[in-house]
Amino acid sequence: MSQRHLSILLGLAASVLLVSAHADDLDAATRAAARKVAIGTCENCHGPEGHSILPKYPVLAGQHANYLAAQMHAFKAQTRGDPDALGYMWGMAATLDDDLITGLADYYSRQKPEAGKLVGGPALAHGKDLYLNGDPANGIPACATCHGPGAEGSDAFPRLAGQHSQYLIKQLKSFQSNLRNVAVMHGVAQGMKSEEMEAVALYLQSLGPKA
Amino acid sequence: MAALAALLATPMAHAVPSFARQTGMTCEACHTVYPELNHFGRMFKANGYTLDNLKQVRGITAKKDEMLSLADLPPLSAMIQVSYTQLAKPLPDGTGAPGHSQSGTVDFPQQFSIFYAGKIAPHVGAFLQITYGNDSGTIGIDNTDIRYANNFIFENDKSLVYGLTINNNPTVQDLWNSTPAFGFPYAGTNAGVSPIAGTQIDGTLAQDVAGISAYAMWNEQLYAELGVYRSAKQGAVNPVSGAAGPLDGTTSNVLRSSAPYFRLAYEYNWGRNSLEVGTYGATFKLYPGGGTTTAPALLSGPFNEFRDVAEDFQYQFIADEHVFSLTGTRIHENMNLDASYAAGASANSRDTLTTTRVNANYYYQRKYGGTLAHFATTGSIDNVLYPAPVAPGVVTSANGSPETTGWVGELNYVPWLNMKLSLQYTHFGKFNGASTNYDGFNRNASANDTTYLLFWLVY
Repeated sequence: MSQRHLSILLGLAASVLLVSAHADDLDAATRAAARKVAIGTCENCHGPEGHSILPKYPVLAGQHANYLAAQMHAFKAQTRGDPDALGYMWGMAATLDDDLITGLADYYSRQKPEAGKLVGGPALAHGKDLYLNGDPANGIPACATCHGPGAEGSDAFPRLAGQHSQYLIKQLKSFQSNLRNVAVMHGVAQGMKSEEMEAVALYLQSLGPKA
Repeated sequence: MAALAALLATPMAHAVPSFARQTGMTCEACHTVYPELNHFGRMFKANGYTLDNLKQVRGITAKKDEMLSLADLPPLSAMIQVSYTQLAKPLPDGTGAPGHSQSGTVDFPQQFSIFYAGKIAPHVGAFLQITYGNDSGTIGIDNTDIRYANNFIFENDKSLVYGLTINNNPTVQDLWNSTPAFGFPYAGTNAGVSPIAGTQIDGTLAQDVAGISAYAMWNEQLYAELGVYRSAKQGAVNPVSGAAGPLDGTTSNVLRSSAPYFRLAYEYNWGRNSLEVGTYGATFKLYPGGGTTTAPALLSGPFNEFRDVAEDFQYQFIADEHVFSLTGTRIHENMNLDASYAAGASANSRDTLTTTRVNANYYYQRKYGGTLAHFATTGSIDNVLYPAPVAPGVVTSANGSPETTGWVGELNYVPWLNMKLSLQYTHFGKFNGASTNYDGFNRNASANDTTYLLFWLVY
């Protein structure tokens, strides 16, 4: 990883921590309100307990609360500009207040992560290699450096294990085109070919919570 | 007492941008391509059109009960349809003169509508349409569905959405596009020839009745609804009082009492797929009415009873590039025509009628699409209910059969999500009982084939 990438990464981590959700401070009423919104509204797309059925919508179950809260703030501020964020979530997040954002992030982070779905055949091995080792010759760093060896993520970086491959591919392409403007991920994705995105996405989709 | 079919009736299915303004979401959040709903759109409707992401003017009590929640902007929309219809062979001149009417018709507009479509109060919303139609030349109430909805979350995190709807067209409140009010064709000509027979629930009573029903949807999968309808005539005047009611024998087709309506459906979603199977139906007891001072009629005594029971299904495959859906319904109607038979208006006291429709729709990038649809209506032969003409006429049946079958092919171009250009061709294999000489005056079914070009804007 270049020094530039490292500094961007540290900046990103700091910004995520700044919007860190304070789930411990949540009162029962906020938790109840978030649960009602999650099941009554978010579930229409993101599925029961965040286990999305339609691959257009990301799995939220088990995602880290900080990451979820940061995304909801980005939707509300209209700073995340990939097409589905713009078409769906800018509206949905427009009237969310800080407490509800924290409550929703907490609700989904407590759900059991998605089990892996094994599809993809030979591409899986290629995807695993790319994920764990990257392709230094072509400027692609190892994803595992930030997202963890099992793609379980951390407070600063999202869980990718078990995520729909279609969603992951769309995000990589949005990072590549800067429609979703995240400098470090633009750096990672800009050198990736479509088949490499597909391979790594299929590998990530295959990973369960204990991988 | 045959009702003119709704097969090619004036279109009724719409989707409106005020929902997009209210939710802040693009049309495809709720639709494959308007007006077909996806799962989120169905849930939005079941929840009473109340999902609102706009800044609100609010009023609350000291106990934080919400008393008012108004968006800054009222949820208003407008729609215009402009069309051109070409009949395969011109109709005879209505004056009886030895000539023909024009075979091409420009409709400008075919319809112009204003909608209030969106939230009214925290748990109340409406889809209310006022339409000017060039066929009536007047402005009138169109499809309307006003709802109360709420939800209950169980301990196991399953949800139950429940509510009430008051509406003016049986099935307009339904969530799937396999039922008549919002089924294919989503738009059709009003300048063609409609078949002689159609079931009551298939649009025949649209805007002629009003009903209330209670519904519940468990876990976004199992849907049940029960309701009743009563006559709600537009423009009817009681000749004694000069007021809009009560209805008497001068009004035609008046419901004898409350007509029960039911709906049961199950939806299963997996991956990009969604499958729904269901049943719906209603029983309508109608007095023929339509009396005059010289030919009085009573709203008592014998009545006609129409028992409609239908099955339906809808399959959808929804991806970013490709959208496909396959939809179908079969409506079976048992008619007890005691009133018509006694009055000599039907040859039989018991008739049946069955309508089947299946349509397959495909869109690429939600921009270029097409539909292929099959329709068929079959039923009892009744030479009085479906009469032969005494002079050249087209909505008649020489052999007393209501059988009408055919195909619809449609091509669509959607340059923007709120604008559609459609080219539709309807072919009749059989029309009112026969493929050739169906009227006894040498008009063939295919003479009623129509080419229909539509420009459809919603804003």
